[in-house]
Amino acid sequence: MMLRWAWKTLIRQRGGLFGSAGGLAGAFILVIFFSAVFRGEATQIVAYLENTRPDIWVMQRGVSNMHMATSFVYDWKADKIARLPGVKRVTPIVYLNTIVHAGDQDAFSFIVGLQEGSSRAGPWALAGGRSQLHSGETVIPEVLSKLSGVGIGDSVTITDRSFKIVGLSEETYSMANSVTFVSMSDLTDILSAFGTYSYLLVDLEEGIDARGFTKTIMDEIEKVNAMTHGDFVRSDFALGMMMGGEIIFMMTVICSGLAVLILGFTSYTQVMRKRRELAIAKAVGIRNLFLYTAVVFHAMVITLLALLLTGIFAIVFFPFISTLVPQVTLVVSIGDLAGMAVVAIIVAAISALIPAYLVSRLDPATVFQV
Amino acid sequence: MGSTQLLRAVNLSKFYGRGHTEVRAVHDVSLEIPHREILLIMGPSGSGKTTLLSMLGGLLRPTKGQVEIDGVNITALKETDLPGIRALKIGFIFQAFNLLDALTVEENILFPAPLHPGGLRRARPRAHSLIEQLGLAQRRKAYPRTLSGGEKQRVAIARALINHPRLILADEPTGNLDSASGQEVMMILHDIARDEGCSVILVTHDPRVEEIADRILWLEDGSLRDRKSEQHSWVRDPVCGMRVDEWTATLFHEYKDKKYVFCSKRCIERFKNEPDKYAKHKNFE
Repeated sequence: MMLRWAWKTLIRQRGGLFGSAGGLAGAFILVIFFSAVFRGEATQIVAYLENTRPDIWVMQRGVSNMHMATSFVYDWKADKIARLPGVKRVTPIVYLNTIVHAGDQDAFSFIVGLQEGSSRAGPWALAGGRSQLHSGETVIPEVLSKLSGVGIGDSVTITDRSFKIVGLSEETYSMANSVTFVSMSDLTDILSAFGTYSYLLVDLEEGIDARGFTKTIMDEIEKVNAMTHGDFVRSDFALGMMMGGEIIFMMTVICSGLAVLILGFTSYTQVMRKRRELAIAKAVGIRNLFLYTAVVFHAMVITLLALLLTGIFAIVFFPFISTLVPQVTLVVSIGDLAGMAVVAIIVAAISALIPAYLVSRLDPATVFQV
Repeated sequence: MGSTQLLRAVNLSKFYGRGHTEVRAVHDVSLEIPHREILLIMGPSGSGKTTLLSMLGGLLRPTKGQVEIDGVNITALKETDLPGIRALKIGFIFQAFNLLDALTVEENILFPAPLHPGGLRRARPRAHSLIEQLGLAQRRKAYPRTLSGGEKQRVAIARALINHPRLILADEPTGNLDSASGQEVMMILHDIARDEGCSVILVTHDPRVEEIADRILWLEDGSLRDRKSEQHSWVRDPVCGMRVDEWTATLFHEYKDKKYVFCSKRCIERFKNEPDKYAKHKNFE
């Protein structure tokens, strides 16, 4: 009966209920939004890796990332790996982190140098033009093209060189990162790294265990690191998330504090407004414990409603935001939502403390006041 | 405590403040209430009636003295044990009805029911019976805001009775009602004492309630005095001419071997200043 009373009291004030839940959802959405931004960025950082998807990545020993990393592997090592039994194909790429100047836009970019005539390791989705590259040509992200106003046939500058745009790629642009393709010969020349590659994409014959084969490569080829595709992606993704981890943590703390204030204030005003009814309940013999339960129940219902609103907002509006602002990639994970739910429940419990104290101090004799 | 006494209050006092600011809301009140008695406590506003009722109901701790209900000294109980006493042994009826807005008539009546060992299951037939008995059958699903004052008070009475309490404490139960509804509520309270075997303590200054009282106590300045309902001794204040009950009056003055009764301190002062002027007036009716 107590919970029935608590529930009916709450739904009688729908405006207050949805107002409080909306405010709380606002705080939760901020946390989820920032988390989604960083997860989206981290996802974009590994977009190139995920879409090329070899069985094994080989790089210079001591290197275990592509993002923010430099790697040199001699070309003869690629030949040696290609000759190992079980290897179907080795695709070398040359790689550089630098700025692409397109029109009035500067975009930080993974510059990937591709062997001429090779379709492996190039753009996986084209919005226009072609992906086969010759010297002096480039494929830039379609989003960068839209933002900068340059298109196929126009030029962009990478380091000190001008490249003619021959293709526009999809899914290769985010706020913090993009992927630009040039020919390997041009990039090798820019780096003055003749006779070397940056990474080797190793495809294995069917049935060969990739994890076991990484050990074979490292045993057979000196001074290289070999990682399975999964390990390499996880390593880069973790690096991407790490870069935003502190900001996400700070935002979570700030927004959780905000949520405690909103929910605490809501519960406080609810208790103050209903103190006569709470005093009646006390007078007729309802124990404090049940009244605390009612207060916590209110906080929990508002919190669950806020979580529901947050979930709906994330599912319905986040994709819309990504469509509207293509350089923003938002990725919401179930783990983030579950983490948010745990934080929300802790917030609800904390915010019910002061109202619960007020309930305990409530004088039941006030029921005689007219 | 004798088996015939349901409630016993011994030297009950409640003081607020200290030193010069001390207010004696109730002072050294002792009373006993047997089973099935309707006791009316009357007195002017601010006389301490509600404070006394709060202490008898375990809602307020006395400064001194003790209250026993059904042999249990509730003043010695811990704060955590008092809700159980209030839930099972006492039913409260208030002037302001104090119904819960969000609950229907039936839900309001059942609100304290889970506190009884039998719980809601046992209470539902009881609630139905009370609803019928108190003429609320058509209003079972109605919310308090749609009820008349009399209906609200009947709901409050049903709520007070749901857990079969031995004692009903009613604070100005007719205070917010018109005369017809007030009369109806009075008769319900009378029937409760007869049919339910409850003792009822009524605090009011509504003289109509005297009709149903077995005993009337007069509380003034925090102290009690006995008074039988049929005993009035009406006299007139010699200064202002207002009718005053000699039984309950507290302001007296003797002049030339004659006792005069006054309604207020102002009148007694004026009398003392010019006694001959006022003494010629006939004091007794």
